[in-house]
Amino acid sequence: MDTLIAQLQRQFRDYTISLYHQGFLDDQFTELKKLQDECSPDFVAEVVTLFFEDCEKLISNMARALDQTGNVDFKLVGSSVHQLKGSSSSVGAKRVKGLCITLKECCDTQNYEGCVRCLQQVDIEYKTLKAKLQDLFNLEQQIVQAGGRIPQVDI
Amino acid sequence: MTMEQEIEVLDQFPVGMRVLAVDDDQTCLRILQTLLQRCQYHVTTTNQAQTALELLRENKNKFDLVISDVDMPDMDGFKLLELVGLEMDLPVIMLSAHSDPKYVMKGVKHGACDYLLKPVRIEELKNIWQHVVRKSKLKKNKSNVSNGSGNCDKANRKRKEQYEEEEEEERGNDNDDPTAQKKPRVLWTHELHNKFLAAVDHLGVERAVPKKILDLMNVDKLTRENVASHLQKFRVALKKVSDDAIQQANRAAIDSHFMQMNSQKGLGGFYHHHRGIPVGSGQFHGGTTMMRHYSSNRNLGRLNSLGAGMFQPVSSSFPRNHNDGGNIIQGLPLEELQINNNINRAFPSFTSQQNSPMVAPSNLLLLEGNPQSSSLPSNPGFSPHFEISKRLEHWSNAALSTNIPQSDVHSKPDTLEWNAFCDSASPLVNPNLDTNPASLCRNTGFGSTNAAQTDFFYPLQMNQQPANNSGPVTEAQLFRSSNPNEGLLMGQQKLQSGLMASDAGSLDDRVNSLMTQEQSQSDFSEGDWDLDGLAHSEHAYEKLHFPFSLSA
Repeated sequence: MDTLIAQLQRQFRDYTISLYHQGFLDDQFTELKKLQDECSPDFVAEVVTLFFEDCEKLISNMARALDQTGNVDFKLVGSSVHQLKGSSSSVGAKRVKGLCITLKECCDTQNYEGCVRCLQQVDIEYKTLKAKLQDLFNLEQQIVQAGGRIPQVDI
Repeated sequence: MTMEQEIEVLDQFPVGMRVLAVDDDQTCLRILQTLLQRCQYHVTTTNQAQTALELLRENKNKFDLVISDVDMPDMDGFKLLELVGLEMDLPVIMLSAHSDPKYVMKGVKHGACDYLLKPVRIEELKNIWQHVVRKSKLKKNKSNVSNGSGNCDKANRKRKEQYEEEEEEERGNDNDDPTAQKKPRVLWTHELHNKFLAAVDHLGVERAVPKKILDLMNVDKLTRENVASHLQKFRVALKKVSDDAIQQANRAAIDSHFMQMNSQKGLGGFYHHHRGIPVGSGQFHGGTTMMRHYSSNRNLGRLNSLGAGMFQPVSSSFPRNHNDGGNIIQGLPLEELQINNNINRAFPSFTSQQNSPMVAPSNLLLLEGNPQSSSLPSNPGFSPHFEISKRLEHWSNAALSTNIPQSDVHSKPDTLEWNAFCDSASPLVNPNLDTNPASLCRNTGFGSTNAAQTDFFYPLQMNQQPANNSGPVTEAQLFRSSNPNEGLLMGQQKLQSGLMASDAGSLDDRVNSLMTQEQSQSDFSEGDWDLDGLAHSEHAYEKLHFPFSLSA
């Protein structure tokens, strides 16, 4: 008989694996998970929360800069995206990081259209990831509440 | 307190090391904090460079090490780095998402001990404590250093060839004033190396002499000595790469050829030896390769007199990497580097040489012969420096944009030669340590552990034992020029950290390690390898000379 816990655990495992396979997460995220333990049980949740806050802040900075039509401060956009690239790579947000790299290139070449498009994509991407990770954390909580253990998923 | 004693004291050291972490990115800061805490360091964080300075100024003894991001809004990370270096003389590690060699170079110039790329991994942080040790050793050694390389110098004097003079100068310089560290280490970036290559190309490999190369390169502050040592390594690497295939096919032929050469010349025997010995892969326990990498950790001077490059049973004894027979390097993160191939190919299979009449190989074999057995236990100093290579790679990767599996910013090195070249750089120059090269040689025989050897390797040994701590320090001290902002130190330290044991398993794709290794080890190539009077005895090492000028 498939208990609730077992079902949830399977769901959790499958979902996690899919996130990696679809390129949302990479090894760095795995490293973060390794850092989570009894001393810091919510480490990953904490870090990704900080990350999404950063995303919001940096993206709005960049959007504002790009809004100054005719007088776009590409340097500012560049430094913001650089920072976003650093933090996304640190949390393992693979797709976001990839888009940051593209956005950086657009900045360097002062490609306004490219920057705007890229930024939009970054925005969508981080929000998508945020939703997915939220789902994942919810699953974790359900497992714990049902009295089960969160399975170790080997990618 | 003797080195050994000091090492003991350092035993508990890394735990509780006080680190100040600075990064305006809250996500990265949080991760960094946790990583550092996981390494059992005591961490203080701030997202403002200004606050960091205030904290440091408040109490200079409050922290052991500073890790700082490069791009910060309130103050440039490099500026902070400079100020900390000047005011507090604490080791500073730079952190950045910029893998651009420019930034790495900037970090080095401003005195960074190390330059880490984001995302930082815990393995990299596990070794950062070595920078603290190194720095403190450096300070201590400045007053303790003795200059005892005279003996070796004289011995070497007899056997100079083409670069005889230069070599002597370098050694003389180093020996005369070890604490001055007046020779700033040159960081052979990709750019610089390309210029070098262009110059050599223009002149023709055979005709390329340091003076002319230097003129052609037209690089400010580059000295003939720098070029000379670089050229030596280059030649060695070239040789190895080009002789690779031949060696495998004509093992026996080469051996006899080698013998011939030995008897004929005496000089450069070692060098030729390398060439002559078939690559044979598996035979050599990757020791040589290891040596190369490790050599960076060793006293270059010693290596020179000992035909150091060959000596690295220690490497083979490195527990982590030891694979029987096979390419030890493979066990190492280094294997990811192309260099591994070159290295393995370049190194003769010493084991097969055991009975060869050639002294050098025999001697080497001796070393080889005691890979895991005697060397390691008796010589705590000998520890593989895989990590160091790794470190260097990481570091140099930024500079050389070598191909590293992990990072997406690394690109493959341009040529295998370069890899091999960098790789061969390994030997460490440690003029300070080269107190008694003659005795070192004598005591050789890795098979025989002797204090001298331990001493010899001591400085650069980075193994899990505390003993390793002194290694980087010494080395750093040796290589560091009087100007703290100069060159190699960073690379050296990186090298050291790279070699830090064990767990660090994952090899960063930092090719530079080779380069850096090379940098620090530049003296290696300057050493003399003299095969005169090769005899089947341990003393043969004494006579080993590394011929500078030997060329194809």
